[in-house]
Amino acid sequence: MEMAELQDKIFAFCEAAKGKKKLKEKDILIGVSTELSLEKDEVKKALREMINVGRLMYSYGGGASSVEIPSEEYLREKGMIK
Amino acid sequence: MKKYDTPLIDELEKGPWPSFVTEMKKAAKNNEMANDAVGHLEKCYRTKVGYWKHGGIVGVLGYGGGVIGRYSELGDEFPGVAHFHTVRLNQPSGFFYTSAALKEICDIWDKYGSGLTNVHGSTGDLVLLGTKTDALETIFAEYSSRGWDLGSSGSALRTPSCCVGPGRCEWTNYDTLDLNYALTQEFQDEIHRPMFSYKFKIKMSGCACDCVASIARADMSIIGTWKGHIEVNQDEVKNYAKNGMDINAEIVNMCPTQCISYDGKDLKINNAECSRCMHCISKMTKALKATGERGATICIGSKAPIVVGSLLSWVIVPFIKVEPPYTELKDLIRKIWEWWDDNAKPRERIGEVIEMKGMRSFLEGIGQAPIPQQIKEPRKDPFMFYTEEDMAAFKAKEAEEKKTGKYKF
Amino acid sequence: MALPQRKTDIGPPHYKQFLPPIIQKNYGKWKYHEVLSHGVMVHVGDSGDKLWTVRVASPRLLSTTTIREHCDVAEKFCGGFFRYTTRNNVEFLVSDEKQLEPLKKDLTARGFKMGGIGAAITNVVHTQGWVHCHSACTDASGLVKSMMDELMDYFESKTLPNKLRLAVACCVNMCGAVHCSDIAVVAVHTKVPTIAHENFKNMCELPTVIGSCPTRAISPDPANKSIKINADKCMYCGNCFTVCPPISIKDPERDGVAILVGGKINSLRSNPKFSKLVIPFISNEPPRWPKAVAAIKHIVEVYAANARKHERVGEWIERIGWERFFSLTGIDFTFQCIDDFTFMRDTMRTSSTFKW
Ligand code: HEM
Ligand code: HEM
Ligand code: HEM
Ligand code: HEM
Ligand code: SF4
Ligand code: SF4
Ligand code: SF4
Ligand code: SF4
Repeated sequence: MEMAELQDKIFAFCEAAKGKKKLKEKDILIGVSTELSLEKDEVKKALREMINVGRLMYSYGGGASSVEIPSEEYLREKGMIK
Repeated sequence: MKKYDTPLIDELEKGPWPSFVTEMKKAAKNNEMANDAVGHLEKCYRTKVGYWKHGGIVGVLGYGGGVIGRYSELGDEFPGVAHFHTVRLNQPSGFFYTSAALKEICDIWDKYGSGLTNVHGSTGDLVLLGTKTDALETIFAEYSSRGWDLGSSGSALRTPSCCVGPGRCEWTNYDTLDLNYALTQEFQDEIHRPMFSYKFKIKMSGCACDCVASIARADMSIIGTWKGHIEVNQDEVKNYAKNGMDINAEIVNMCPTQCISYDGKDLKINNAECSRCMHCISKMTKALKATGERGATICIGSKAPIVVGSLLSWVIVPFIKVEPPYTELKDLIRKIWEWWDDNAKPRERIGEVIEMKGMRSFLEGIGQAPIPQQIKEPRKDPFMFYTEEDMAAFKAKEAEEKKTGKYKF
Repeated sequence: MALPQRKTDIGPPHYKQFLPPIIQKNYGKWKYHEVLSHGVMVHVGDSGDKLWTVRVASPRLLSTTTIREHCDVAEKFCGGFFRYTTRNNVEFLVSDEKQLEPLKKDLTARGFKMGGIGAAITNVVHTQGWVHCHSACTDASGLVKSMMDELMDYFESKTLPNKLRLAVACCVNMCGAVHCSDIAVVAVHTKVPTIAHENFKNMCELPTVIGSCPTRAISPDPANKSIKINADKCMYCGNCFTVCPPISIKDPERDGVAILVGGKINSLRSNPKFSKLVIPFISNEPPRWPKAVAAIKHIVEVYAANARKHERVGEWIERIGWERFFSLTGIDFTFQCIDDFTFMRDTMRTSSTFKW
């Protein structure tokens, strides 16, 4: 699968969980790799790229971390959007 | 800059112990953020409650930790602490510094932060207290370009830390400084990108004195030990006696295994019965010295009381060699994480998961055999699991006994 | 000005560049050390080289001004080399004996306090408190300052039967991991939390909040789209507040501190031990917490007068028995001292042998 396509799938996976469940990185790796019959490492690589460019982000609450779609505020702060 | 009236915390500038209030005021002299932190703290002392909000989501791009979001409920009254985030810098092994390195750290912090620090935080990081969200990327660029990386926070491998070890201690059984550095480098991904169910801490002490308190505050405690004899220098024993040590009361009678004898001249140790508690060595360091094979005991699981009670770490691997490149130890750590990952619910520390799933599941998961060094005593009640394999093994043993005519219990 | 290029995943600098030449030379080849006073010890290498360590107190919360002062002292007497300890002291590393007395004089002139080595009270492990944490029921730094002002003699000069480790945690999260100290102060809440029901739905996950409660006091409250707390079960641990901001537990008149004693970390003579609760509640009394400080000082003095040489607080109490500890200290024994959480089975007495 093309990297861009895989990343869209990962994004869709996170979008579907938004407001319902806080996703750990592991949930995404297992969820997406099972859905698409891919290796977890491949999904991890794609996911990391998305986090590096701010398409997804690590979040934190109540002592535990999760992966989320960034808010506009976060993107503005990182200079990703004006 | 606003001048705050601070009669309550001023009380804490009196007395001989160094005062944190004085430190805050020193920083406040030319820093708005620190100045507002002083006013903010006085208000806490007046009302007897804190005003910090739950940490928000802040960080540097690509990392999931190293910055703790901190905002005040009183941002309008004290704008300097409206944002007051913590930056954790990964400390060097053993907390050794040169003045040049620390001054550089201070210069950057004065430029972009409050000028307040904790040297160090309880996990080990050099903690920089108080900066604003929009300064974070700059701060990270300034520090990382000079060789300083962020420490950890969140559901990640927390910044490992170690005792001073071979740097300045005669008792260490392995190179704590080097192992700490090696593991920190090996697991950079696990430190910066939270991928676990919850936090995981590794602490390294060179001997049973455990100067980093690893047994009480690390999910994985690596405590130095030895397998050989305690070498006795009888001349030095005589010197201790001459200088007033009551060797029978202070050493012989306090040895937990009662394996030392002293006839007024020579001190003898029955090494086979010594449990390596370090008491005699620590009291007679000139006379006694551990020798022979060196390594460490690996213990797992200690944590604070949240959620269901505190734990001390349990012995899992009674003895492991600790020598570069530390391959066996690194593999063990990965196996431990894998089992934890497979079995933990969110926010469950490894000690809690072992309690839930059973020690057997854990030991099998990481490929460790049961041995008596792991326990204080065996189970007390007869409720236990027998797997088909266990029964087959018991039966096979009995069949073997029938053949040889000799019991093997 | 352009920013320097950021780097990721580099880890900390290699420690070797921060080790003074004498340590590089004698690395892993130390023979013995001697404690010369509470402020100074000397390590001797197999080579015969000597390294003096002068330990100095720190409030842990440091301004960059004071860190720079540490740097200046190190440059003047130690070739710029120094370190901090796990209990937040500063240690100046001297390889030239001629520098030792001038260093001590300089430190005294600057007002730095030397001590904490050997059978003494050293720096207090503690947490953030009101200075920097949302969860705090007290201010850790203020308590530490107040108690160490009173115990200063035991840091600088007076000798105890053994080391005595103090710790302060500003809530039961116990970031400082105070549970294994000779004397620990843990700040506690004493009231059932309240809930801003209107914010619950937006800010909290129901299963997480229910799961956060160690005593299973929390159940759903469908009418309010929120949760309710069973007051008979809640032990005020605050964990629900940690995972769900609309829950509130702070209360200025009901928050306070508890005192636990008899813990230890090392394995010398006896196994590591948890500290055990002896005083369940003392009100928060900023800025100086006089009653809490008096209680700690009293326990230190009773230990100093009664323990044998080399006994830690916990070892002394195990030898004389807890009933004797309570009678010697005159501390009231209360229901809170009897475990009704996870350790009751192991902590009740199961024999008819005890003292009066
Ligand atoms: C569920 C339990 C815990 C929660 C929710 C929690 C939460 C927090 C929070 C909110 C802070 C930030 C304080 C600040 O703003 O500077 C903090 C700091 C810290 N916590 Fe925890 N904590 C927990 C348990 C622990 C434990 C058990 C340890 C160590 C054994 C620990 C070690 C630290 C350290 C080292 C810091 C940095 C500040 C310091 O050194 O005092 N935490 N924790
Ligand atoms: C599944 C577990 C157990 C079963 C089925 C069981 C059953 C029995 C039975 C049938 C008796 C004989 C009663 C008689 O003399 O008529 C007995 C006696 C006794 N059991 Fe148990 N028992 C169990 C566990 C225990 C345990 C765990 C303990 C102690 C820790 C215990 C302590 C005793 C004692 C002290 C006696 C009296 C012995 C005597 O006469 O001197 N039992 N038990
Ligand atoms: C009876 C038990 C102990 C003995 C004999 C002992 C001995 C020593 C010695 C000889 C040193 C100097 C090592 C060096 O830096 O050259 C030292 C340092 C230190 N010890 Fe202990 N210790 C004991 C228990 C503890 C405990 C229980 C703690 C903490 C909970 C502790 C914390 C420290 C700290 C913080 C240092 C400073 C060195 C460092 O930062 O690593 N010690 N101890
Ligand atoms: C009387 C109570 C206690 C005392 C005196 C005490 C003392 C300490 C000390 C001295 C440290 C080392 C801190 C440092 O090096 O900066 C520590 C760390 C720690 N303690 Fe405690 N502790 C106590 C209670 C607890 C309890 C009840 C828990 C958990 C249930 C706990 C969990 C921890 C943890 C997890 C750490 C490691 C912190 C880290 O990773 O930095 N402690 N404690
Ligand atoms: S833990 Fe042991 S080896 Fe490490 S500094 Fe302490 S006494 Fe030395
Ligand atoms: S190390 Fe401990 S057990 Fe071993 S001889 Fe010395 S005092 Fe006894
Ligand atoms: S002990 Fe509690 S109040 Fe103190 S710093 Fe840790 S979480 Fe915050
Ligand atoms: S404070 Fe603790 S015991 Fe009380 S309801 Fe909340 S989580 Fe449960």
